[in-house]
Amino acid sequence: MKGLFKSKPRTPADVVRQTRDLLIYAQRTPDSRESKREEKMSELCKNIREMKSILYGNSESEPVSEACAQLTQEFFKENTLRLLIMCLPKLNLEARKDATQVVANLQRQQVQSKLIASDYLEANIDLMDILIQGYGNTDMALHYGAMLRECIRHQTVARYVLESEHMKKFFDYIQLPNFDIAADAAATFKELLTRHKSTVAEFLSKNYDWFFAEYNSKLLESSNYITRRQAVKLLGDILLDRSNSAVMTRYVSSRDNLRILMNLLRESSKSIQIEAFHVFKLFAANQNKPADIMSILVANRSKLLRLFADFKIDKEDEQFEADKAQVVREIAALEPKDHS
Amino acid sequence: MSTSSSHQENPEPKKVQFPLDSTAYQILDEIGFGVSAVVYKAICLPMNNTIVAIKSIDLDQSRANFDNIRRETKTLSLLSHPNILSAHCSFTVDRHLWVVMPFMSAGSLQSIISSAFPDGLPEPCIAVVLRETLKAMSYLHDQGHLHRDIKAGNILIDFNGSVKVADFGVSASVYDANSSGESSIRLNDVAGTPYWMAPEVIHSHNGYGCKADVWSFGITALELAHGGPPLSNLPPSKSLLLKITKRFRFSDYENRHDKNYKSKKFSKAFKDLVGCCLDQDPNKRPTAERLLRHSFFKHCRGLDFLVKNVLQGLPSVEERFKKTRALGGLMKEKGINAEDDEDEEEDDEGSSARQRAKHRRISGWNFNEDEFDLDPVFPVEPQGDSAVKMVRFGGESIIQDRGGEWSESNPSSPGRVEEEAESENVGVMEAGREAMAVGEHSENVGEIRGLLGGGGVDEEALMGALSGNVVGGLDREAMMGALVAFIGSLDEQRQNVMKLLSVLRGVEAWELSREEQMGQVIERLRVELENERGRNFQLEMELEFLRIQVSGAHSSTGAGID
Repeated sequence: MKGLFKSKPRTPADVVRQTRDLLIYAQRTPDSRESKREEKMSELCKNIREMKSILYGNSESEPVSEACAQLTQEFFKENTLRLLIMCLPKLNLEARKDATQVVANLQRQQVQSKLIASDYLEANIDLMDILIQGYGNTDMALHYGAMLRECIRHQTVARYVLESEHMKKFFDYIQLPNFDIAADAAATFKELLTRHKSTVAEFLSKNYDWFFAEYNSKLLESSNYITRRQAVKLLGDILLDRSNSAVMTRYVSSRDNLRILMNLLRESSKSIQIEAFHVFKLFAANQNKPADIMSILVANRSKLLRLFADFKIDKEDEQFEADKAQVVREIAALEPKDHS
Repeated sequence: MSTSSSHQENPEPKKVQFPLDSTAYQILDEIGFGVSAVVYKAICLPMNNTIVAIKSIDLDQSRANFDNIRRETKTLSLLSHPNILSAHCSFTVDRHLWVVMPFMSAGSLQSIISSAFPDGLPEPCIAVVLRETLKAMSYLHDQGHLHRDIKAGNILIDFNGSVKVADFGVSASVYDANSSGESSIRLNDVAGTPYWMAPEVIHSHNGYGCKADVWSFGITALELAHGGPPLSNLPPSKSLLLKITKRFRFSDYENRHDKNYKSKKFSKAFKDLVGCCLDQDPNKRPTAERLLRHSFFKHCRGLDFLVKNVLQGLPSVEERFKKTRALGGLMKEKGINAEDDEDEEEDDEGSSARQRAKHRRISGWNFNEDEFDLDPVFPVEPQGDSAVKMVRFGGESIIQDRGGEWSESNPSSPGRVEEEAESENVGVMEAGREAMAVGEHSENVGEIRGLLGGGGVDEEALMGALSGNVVGGLDREAMMGALVAFIGSLDEQRQNVMKLLSVLRGVEAWELSREEQMGQVIERLRVELENERGRNFQLEMELEFLRIQVSGAHSSTGAGID
């Protein structure tokens, strides 16, 4: 502090205000003397850390809800979040992590039982564009990615991202060679497609064609093992969700989709096989199978039955066994129908 | 958002981007392995042949879900501290995840100790290692992370004496743990390696925090001082561990307080440091940061001291690994699981260890400052005396030797044991005998299986004969003989199956959680029921057959009379 600030205890609002001033300073192009700038930057980092310890508590004390509310209110009263996001690349690693945790925590803070972060983000929805584009930047991806995942906890924000052009980019982000970033993008993608049921159902039925075309070709038929494994698991989660039943019905009526799933069933990876089964069973259980689906299943009847005969998982799972038995029954029953 | 400006304010070294492509690396040697991971020494060709360590995790095999793996690598890539082994990069190679890390040429302290300092390191060296470890812990805890598996096997040394803490396979973030934003930062999963585990981790229903790492740190200090963690004089063999849990009969380890051990003198400061880390009450244990200011580190030497006193003349990591692996293989042949010994550069997350820990019930620990060791306090057995028993033990020898030494040394000890300990000794001897028996059984497994297979064939033949006889004929004597033989073989098979099951149960119990164990019990009962049903069926068949025969005889003789 070096006498710059009196040691008079600062209120949480003071800390936010000071942070904001320093962020405004940091954002300007560095033309002033370097030494002064360095001092201010380290002051900024200290302030961000202080916000973190107010919100999370520290080794000596637990967080105080009144202080958290004060901080949150002051933070969103002005454009602090935008400043923080813009300045993030200028901070050091520790300050970036602190800032990410602060932003994460603020999304859940209630002021007079209201999530004011949601209101702020709704008015500043373009911030999401910056966060999502972070996946293209190796240094920032994990920080922006973590912030983004917290922001899409708000339904309006999630809807914005789902309906934006960014959604298409995720198909590439989750296949980035850098595992950390790809995995982070995959986690966000999954969150977007599973968290807010009604929003997801609406998005999927409106964007069915392009979404599943991309999903099939880029993810389920990817040459990357991890991509296929994650994609088939997520597909199962999506289709088995009751709120997506209309989408599911549509998905299991497509011959192309069935072909892709049957290829996944033949994979040598047990994990992929099992996840693929959870989607395949929907095709088999469909009581209104279109003729072309029916003919594929009949043509492959014996192969499928043979596959399921020694299809086992390591752990005993009654639900899995029951599902398998039902699928086998459905498929076994196909032929007589064919003969009649 | 250019990155060039990002380091202008902070003189952090810019992270060099290593290639994210397996063809850029050439694997030289295997230097460690775990349950679903292998660690290689490799060179990175486009980076001027920089030597790296690559941890290759089999993603299809590892049951850990992606979220855990993602968390682990993300934690690693966001940590930046001179005492933490960070990752250069990570990427997938087909079904494997490759985590590329700096190569620490001297390997882990555990492997250094077991190959060159079986009785422990000199105290000044321990001080350097512990100080560096504390720096890493202090940083981690400040970040809200727990390491959860602090032990000599996870502390690595480089050629220049720099010390880094590695393996975040089980580390967790206290910030990630609760998504609701509540204040209490507690974790509830059982993780870590049993010897090093804090009591509140073993009894993990209360949750635990950074102080659990401080406990493990204290155990690690003992490990460095004695050559192995407390209790490690017992081989980590699963079957033996099982015996321990079952009856908690630790022998008096007086016999192992040999001259070597006794001649060791540790400073008061060191004893005090370890003592406060091993406080029962997590709240009374000091933080890592405070420990750094402990008087023990007052005259602590520099890293070059380690180079001169520890690293010189040490065999290479690769050589040591080959040796350990050979030993491990040998022990496996003897039916002893040596997985903890193999934890070289990076051992795996040790999920089995985690599971095992659940079954250890130690009600408390007393740090014995005079003996400089840890005394477990065991729950009293219902039939035992009401007083809590205290058992003393040391830990002077390396793990590899213990398999044989342990059971052999027992008979020699009773002369020196006190009355109370004697009964315990008996328990241990029993346990030893049982363990040996287990070993024998497992060797017999093949044989038993053969027998079972043979039995199966017999059975079929018999069934054929049986049905043939029922339909066609009257070779009564042959039939009875066959049936008697059949029943005999069934009994034998049943016994074999029971033996097999008990052996399997004995070996596997450590890896199973309680639910799984229950499941197993149910399964076993089911098998027993099935067996009983089978036998019942056979007996009924026999009875039926005899009835037919008897009535046949009756009717024929009856006809004759009439």
